[in-house]
Amino acid sequence: MLRGLALGLTAWLAASAVAAEACEAPVGFAARERLTANDVVVLFRTVPATIEIGRHFAVEAVVCATPPTQALRVDAQMPEHRHGMNYRPTVAATGDGRWVAQGMMFHMPGRWQLVFDVERGGRTERLATDILLE
Amino acid sequence: MSARRLAALLVGMSLLAAPAVRAQPPLDLEPAEIRRILQHGPWPPPVARDPSNRVSGDPRAIALGQRLFFERRLSANGGIACAGCHIPAKAWADGRAHGMGLAPLDRNTPTVLDAGLHRWFAWDGRSDSVWSQALRAILDPREMGSSARHVATLVRADPTLRCLYEATWGAPGADEPLLVNVGKALAAFVETVRSGRTVFDDFRDALARGDRAAAARYPEGAQRGLRLFVGQGSCNVCHLGPQFTNGEFHDVGMPYVVAPGRVDGGRHEGIKQLRADRFNLLGSYNDDATGTAAIKTRHVEPHHANFGQFKTPSLRNVALTAPYMHDGRLATVREVVRHYSRLDLERIHTHGEQLLRPLRLSESQIDDLVAFLESLTDPQASDPPPPPALGACAGR
Repeated sequence: MLRGLALGLTAWLAASAVAAEACEAPVGFAARERLTANDVVVLFRTVPATIEIGRHFAVEAVVCATPPTQALRVDAQMPEHRHGMNYRPTVAATGDGRWVAQGMMFHMPGRWQLVFDVERGGRTERLATDILLE
Repeated sequence: MSARRLAALLVGMSLLAAPAVRAQPPLDLEPAEIRRILQHGPWPPPVARDPSNRVSGDPRAIALGQRLFFERRLSANGGIACAGCHIPAKAWADGRAHGMGLAPLDRNTPTVLDAGLHRWFAWDGRSDSVWSQALRAILDPREMGSSARHVATLVRADPTLRCLYEATWGAPGADEPLLVNVGKALAAFVETVRSGRTVFDDFRDALARGDRAAAARYPEGAQRGLRLFVGQGSCNVCHLGPQFTNGEFHDVGMPYVVAPGRVDGGRHEGIKQLRADRFNLLGSYNDDATGTAAIKTRHVEPHHANFGQFKTPSLRNVALTAPYMHDGRLATVREVVRHYSRLDLERIHTHGEQLLRPLRLSESQIDDLVAFLESLTDPQASDPPPPPALGACAGR
């Protein structure tokens, strides 16, 4: 029984690793960055590609995860200032592992931490990256 | 010429005249400082139409809007026009600590100069378009105290207003759509109230071109003040971009008790009012079919920290729009700079936010910051607008 479980777990981890490694941006999707945490990969870009202070933008993401992503939250904070955005983005799945977050806005220069919370299989994986705006 | 216009002209002339007396070499600015300074231009920005207002930029609507802006009969008692508080000769503000409509108001009257570039309107951002803000002022019992019926009756009955309205919109319809159209015409006019170039803009553009001779015409005190503004003071964290504002809301330590037992909730109240406003951009009067204009309204997020926050004002022409802050309690630009120099952090609802700290400026640094802020003055900012182009409606 234990041996079976171990084999199953090994196979699942291997499949996850393969899935993460195989995660590629679709044709025409120029990812700004690739983020990885355990078996989750997020490729994302912003629309427009250049984030301007005080201008709304969207985040488009390709999320590769096993088991598949059930929900995605996108948010951002300024750690040094200890505040977040003044706007709450709405996130929607657009199919084939792709998601779009509308209504983002960075209203100050400085370091923003962009956060993706990926929910799948009853767990949440947090992936984050820094964006410096001058 | 009014005393205020004369003062504005003298501020502009003194700034222009100073270099002729004694040209100052530009300070040796670091590349990072120059990058930050360049972000405050170019000026003026390109003219953009408001997609939520289908007559934005339409000369017929602008003529109607200008006529309405100076029309006292829009108000319930026939005595108050938009121009009664947004006085062209006072840089389109009123010079009072608190606005005065049909009743005294709690807040300082903001200028409408460059209002077409704003994201939110009023100190608490309760309106999300120029036209919905115009409607608020018309309908607010303390401001003009009017109604859709009152406005519609006036427009239908007055030959010139009716002619201009029909030229813009066609035959007047029901009261409420007519009222909204009046708001949109007012907005079309207000969008044309734009401020012009300043000596700061000349300096900024000279820096962009690498023209040291032209940059040297900018007074040295203003240069030092600008360096403080984008450096030690970090004023540009909120007062950023060509408009010198991020268009958002902050608690800067101003008292918010209006009277015993009565407080001004600032942005906290503004978001509530925005959501309750049937003329907001989520409503049926928004002309933007793409949904882009309403993104801000759909996504704006209330926070506890919004309590006591007020809009970051533009600093263009700040020397002409005294008194200052949301409640007009500071009489001069110098007092405002002193406020940030001595900032009382106990008064700020930080909610953990770490943004402001007392600048602890010396007297000469205060002089320099004031010199810089005065250099943001357009000498023509208080000029009256040209007469409205009434066309075939003239003389009716």
